[in-house]
Amino acid sequence: MEKKIGVYICEGCGIGEAIDKDRVVKNGVPKKIEICRNHPIMCSTEGIELIKKDIADEGVNTVVIAACSQRVLYDVFDFGPVIVKRANLREGVVWSHKPQEDRIGGEEGAPQVDQLIQEMAEDYVRMGIAEAEKMLPPEPYLEETFDKKIVVMGGGVAGLSAALDTAKAGYETLVVEKQAKIGGFATKMRKQTPSSYPYEELQPPVIDQIIKEAEAHPKIEIRTGTEIARIAGSPALFDITFKAAGTKSAWDVMSAEEEAALLEKMAEEGEEAAAKGAEPTPDSPATILVKNPDAERFGAVILATGWKPWEPRKEDEPAPEAEGEEAKEAEAEEEPKEPEPTFEHLGLGTLPDVVTNVAFEEMAANGKILKPSSGKPAASVAFIQCGGQGTDEDFPYASAVTSMVALKQAKYVREDNPDGKAYIFYQHMRTPGQNEYFYKSVQQDDGIFLTKGEVVSVSGNGDGSLVLEAKDTLLGENIKLSADMVVLGTGMVPITRDEPVLNFAYRQGPAFRDLDLFDGYPDSNFICFPYETRRTGIYAAGCARRAMSIQESIEDASGAALKAIQCIESVYRGVAVHPRSGDMTFPDFFFQRCTQCKRCTEECPFGALDDDEKGTPLPNPTRCRRCGTCMGACPERIVGFADYSIDSIGSAVKAIGVPEDDDENLRVLVLACENDAYPAFDMAGLNRLSYSPLVRIIPVRCLGSVNVVWIKDALSKGIDGILTIGCKFGDDYQCHFAKGSELLDVRMDKIGEALKSLALEKERVQQVQVAIDEYEKIPGIIGEFVETIQGVGPNPFKGF
Amino acid sequence: MANSYLVEPDVNFVRQLKTMGGETLKKCYQCATCSVVCPISPDERPFPRKEMIAAQWGLKDKLVGNMDVWLCHHCNDCSTYCPRGARPGDLLNAVRAYSIQEYAWPKWLARIVPDPRFWWLLLAIPMAIFVMILGPAGYLKIPAGEIEFAKFFPTLLIDLIFVPLATFWVPLVFGIGIYRFMTDLHKNAVAEGKAKRKDLNIPDFLKSLACALPAILAHSKFDECSSNKDRYISHLLVFFSFLGLFVVTNCFFVALYILQLPGPYSMGNPVKILANISAVALLVGVILMIYNRLQDKGDNIGKGSYFDWSLIILVLGLVVTGILSEVTRIAHAPILAYPIYFMHLVFVFCLFAYLPFSKLAHLVYRTLAMAYSRYSEREPCE
Repeated sequence: MEKKIGVYICEGCGIGEAIDKDRVVKNGVPKKIEICRNHPIMCSTEGIELIKKDIADEGVNTVVIAACSQRVLYDVFDFGPVIVKRANLREGVVWSHKPQEDRIGGEEGAPQVDQLIQEMAEDYVRMGIAEAEKMLPPEPYLEETFDKKIVVMGGGVAGLSAALDTAKAGYETLVVEKQAKIGGFATKMRKQTPSSYPYEELQPPVIDQIIKEAEAHPKIEIRTGTEIARIAGSPALFDITFKAAGTKSAWDVMSAEEEAALLEKMAEEGEEAAAKGAEPTPDSPATILVKNPDAERFGAVILATGWKPWEPRKEDEPAPEAEGEEAKEAEAEEEPKEPEPTFEHLGLGTLPDVVTNVAFEEMAANGKILKPSSGKPAASVAFIQCGGQGTDEDFPYASAVTSMVALKQAKYVREDNPDGKAYIFYQHMRTPGQNEYFYKSVQQDDGIFLTKGEVVSVSGNGDGSLVLEAKDTLLGENIKLSADMVVLGTGMVPITRDEPVLNFAYRQGPAFRDLDLFDGYPDSNFICFPYETRRTGIYAAGCARRAMSIQESIEDASGAALKAIQCIESVYRGVAVHPRSGDMTFPDFFFQRCTQCKRCTEECPFGALDDDEKGTPLPNPTRCRRCGTCMGACPERIVGFADYSIDSIGSAVKAIGVPEDDDENLRVLVLACENDAYPAFDMAGLNRLSYSPLVRIIPVRCLGSVNVVWIKDALSKGIDGILTIGCKFGDDYQCHFAKGSELLDVRMDKIGEALKSLALEKERVQQVQVAIDEYEKIPGIIGEFVETIQGVGPNPFKGF
Repeated sequence: MANSYLVEPDVNFVRQLKTMGGETLKKCYQCATCSVVCPISPDERPFPRKEMIAAQWGLKDKLVGNMDVWLCHHCNDCSTYCPRGARPGDLLNAVRAYSIQEYAWPKWLARIVPDPRFWWLLLAIPMAIFVMILGPAGYLKIPAGEIEFAKFFPTLLIDLIFVPLATFWVPLVFGIGIYRFMTDLHKNAVAEGKAKRKDLNIPDFLKSLACALPAILAHSKFDECSSNKDRYISHLLVFFSFLGLFVVTNCFFVALYILQLPGPYSMGNPVKILANISAVALLVGVILMIYNRLQDKGDNIGKGSYFDWSLIILVLGLVVTGILSEVTRIAHAPILAYPIYFMHLVFVFCLFAYLPFSKLAHLVYRTLAMAYSRYSEREPCE
């Protein structure tokens, strides 16, 4: 495509006063650019018309607008298929830099402006043009075989509610349930906590109504006793193989390690093994490279597989996340995990009348509550919410639901016996929102006794009853109490903690990644990206996401259902679903130069890339979230997007004007993540916080997309220091792409070694973490880095 | 675990407290705002937070016989500041009512005095006694001539009824109650670590009683209340007018039986002046108490139970009939004067006979608790 660039410089919002626009044109706009205009208010109707006229009359197809930040007025500066590149003169230059008397200058007759601020504006215009020259119009990724059907894994409250939501929205929906009957745990309950005003009385579970409605809906198909053998493909192209629950299938997915070993063996043994791989059997299942021709195609998956009751792990049982071979490896590598508590001091497993809240619920649903030991009615029941033993932590996986269940079950005791007594020992009574009304109403019951405190022991009393001893109670002293039964408020473990569930036929393995970060929940970031998992097209709902009440699960299901629909519809339009919703670009691989190093496949935070037996990446564009981590990872620089590539950003870096003979006027390149760091810079400008005019900031999609070559380019250009600023990483990461800033941090270590070999100081390249609301730290971060670089001195490669 | 307290919740106890003015007790969620805002609670183991959870758990042994329940003067600062509307002050009032019944004897009387269904019976008892004594002796008729109450109800007969009542009945009932109360008070205080002294020594206790009296007379605790300061003046008026009337009664007893000077006495008589001043003060005090209870303090704070109101109405009836007896006598209206006097005597009988069973019993129990708190060094003796 022949590029025709038009440059438009706005003079509004203080830009015209702070800089000399004629000098910007003279120094910042290359001679070859024919169309270069300015306007007092570019975003005005008149200004927009000016641009539109050039597009129509002059054939301009790439527009560089030197005005405000790319984060504002993007809808105003939208000219359809025309490429738009913004040079940020407002927030990035004039609003964030105070002119200083000693720097004011300019030719006679020309406006007198701060020289450093002027240079900055010239650079940003030049960089914008350089980048725009390398940007291409995006073309959507579309396939004819896309499918809009939605599969819901799990037929409990959340799954059925989600299915009803998607079906009512017009999407064919398949509900897959592992058990023989749908309805999940809600069918085993006596009553549920209140779901409507005044939130005070228990109500019969609504599950029967939901089941009836789902079974009757023409767009819902329900398959019970079924689970997924493998899920291959990508959003709108998912090829799912089902199997009878609990059976082995030829399409089961091996662990990533087993798969890799098999592929290696196939490469060594040649055709014999390859043939074996092509003819899968339940005992030697197919590799992920083999496609099941009989698989069913779906658009998106709602993961509503729910929870299972927490149970103390038996001593001879291995930790569930690693089994067999893996376990041995894991043990050798990892430090031994602290054993999970068993709560034997509370009689769990040793005294028959000590049960979990789940067992108690099932007993209550079957009729009057009877002591398991004698079959006699239980007149007094103690509910324990905390395992004690020196901590005030609740039982593993306990939550607000556990607190609500204790209150609910205390009510059962009172329902069954007007003189019954229910005791609740808690460390945390968690009844958020309207649940507080339920707490208050339960509290009113004469026979329900609540206290904070730690139960130290539960033992048999000799007469068939139990005796509890508790300390640190609100009653002010150590207490002893007799009860017929004890119920432990144990928590709800997400099924995904211990089982792959979906069995992805993905190179990165059959389960979700980094589950340890979230205690086994498949969410990618509970706060920022609800419902999204680390696998695009898979949306979690209900207790798979966190412990929830029935009412909460119903509401949560709608969120996941909408996400699944959003995903399918985005794919159909050829755009990304999230977090870069609407982005039409996708990574393009120049395979001729691929060295099969597999770095892209391994680093992709979303498992978007598979690879063949040789290691050549197999892209799945609809799995991709367009973060560019593959682009940043690739040592051969063969990955790029239409409007964001090694070359486009590299050209911008190279367009930075570096004064060669000035030891004071140094240059610092800042690569800022456009999700948090770049907005923080904008907000600093908006708040008129001033930072050093020696920096040149380039927004990047994610720090994960930063390719080391840009840093090399900058250093060889003579730029004195490079600062990358991105989201926080680690356990409480804020990276929109989960791993981007963390991956760059690893790459930075390697850059440090490379710098050393070039006799350059390690301090010249650094990474900083910043959150979007920490804009007030920006001047300090920049100031400190510029000071460091000034201390280190000018880049010795300057002028080469 | 050594020294564990065996918790034995009594659901019926919770229910009873709820019917006696503590109906909001289950609302408490133990934030302890009450103990913080209470102006008169000691710093160590302050009330009423711990009393609230004991009430919620139906722990009778922690409330009945707990001196702190009696150190509370029902200011209701706690109820005013309670974020849950649990009204701790009113709960302690209910516990006191329960305790009075618990320590009173005979039990049947202890049960009917606070029971709203039996108010008529309580009035019927003295009426029946009066009629049975006066009827056969030929009285109970409106006598002719100058109004002289002794003609209608001879003073000797009155004293035959009232002197045994005051010198035998009341001390007997209270004696039993005091013994049981003091035993429990000491046991509870030692068990809960509120008592520095583990023994109970009577001479020392009497010293503490002497030490508590100035504070009681001065109403210094009432004076510390902030939400309900009005009660300081009304209680002071009622307290001292009763004291005045007690002095008057004793003076006239001496005048009649020792100096042989039967009434009616002249209006200029200093004792008569004291009587009249006391009567007016009592009337004002009681009206102030009623007015104060009817004030809207939000959340039904301090609106009082039947147990409170029955005493207030009794005292109001007592003082109104007392004043009207005198007024109608001076106005020469025998048709009114004699029946009103009769009713006045009925009320006086009720006040004495039911003293150990009614709210008025706090006169004894609170005094003992305040003395004991000084004895046990929970509060300093100033």
